[in-house]
Amino acid sequence: MADYREAPLATRPKTLDPNEYFNLSPEQRRAEEARGAIRANLKRQYQTQLNNPHRQELIEDPALTRWVYARTNPYPHFKPTFKTSLLGAMFGVVPLFALYYIFKTDRDRKEEQIKAGTLERKFSLSS
Amino acid sequence: MRNTTSVRQQQPVNMAGVGFRRWAQALSKGKGSGISALLSGSRAASSASKDSLPGPYPKTPEERAAAAKKYNMRVEDYEPHPDNGEGYGDYPKLPDRSQHERDPWYQWDHPDLRRNWGEPIHWHFDMYIRNRVDTSPSPVSWSTMCKQLFGFIGFMLFMFYVGEKCPSYQPVAPKQYPFNNLYLERGGDPEKEPEDVKNYEI
Repeated sequence: MADYREAPLATRPKTLDPNEYFNLSPEQRRAEEARGAIRANLKRQYQTQLNNPHRQELIEDPALTRWVYARTNPYPHFKPTFKTSLLGAMFGVVPLFALYYIFKTDRDRKEEQIKAGTLERKFSLSS
Repeated sequence: MRNTTSVRQQQPVNMAGVGFRRWAQALSKGKGSGISALLSGSRAASSASKDSLPGPYPKTPEERAAAAKKYNMRVEDYEPHPDNGEGYGDYPKLPDRSQHERDPWYQWDHPDLRRNWGEPIHWHFDMYIRNRVDTSPSPVSWSTMCKQLFGFIGFMLFMFYVGEKCPSYQPVAPKQYPFNNLYLERGGDPEKEPEDVKNYEI
């Protein structure tokens, strides 16, 4: 097991993760406690709203609002760099011209074959 | 008035929680009917305010601290996406882990999503839900998986190629008809003697 290599984009099993054995210093424990405090505060707020007998409406999740807003409004933070313009060109411009060229040449070739009478009309469904 | 930060250590205030409380109070003792109280200035207390929505990339440490507080994260944990113009702004870069990996036995607020209320959402959260991409550890290592898959596919391709080159089937021949290849049925003259047709070889 010493040479276990995880698949790319997948994680290590917990029992093989060195963090389980080595993260015991006081700073790490304090960090875990701080994270737990934040989590407990959020839990308390949620439970208060959930168990409120006078609540009529849905509980709004501000993290969800922020996520939706961030995903739908990337435009103010867009900067045309080499990578972003390359991606834009690859996905927006190149397929347009490439597909036009491919379809046009294929159809022209077929038209030539039909006119010359050499087109082989098979019975298979795929061509 | 009861504060949400009534704990001894410094805790981040959920602005929307405070805002929600204030809005609810304004609504309950608001002047006029419910609709006009909704439409009046008390709307600014909901999370549509500028300081609780994502903003531009944080440049100074104060901006980073404010952004970490906004997203309910520790300042040390908060790491924005690199500022390379791809549209992330100050949204935090969370580890690329799928919801499959989260503890199934913990009491999440939303058990199907394995997420708590108010927890910062990964940018690609809709990809990492339990119906979709799974980043949990694989049962065997990558090399073993590659060998097994490509070994099987390679073997099958090789066998199909061999089958094309050396086909094996029951022998066939054209159909043989009796009565001298059906001489009379094919309109042969009944008076004339047909020539003998031998469809066999001994």
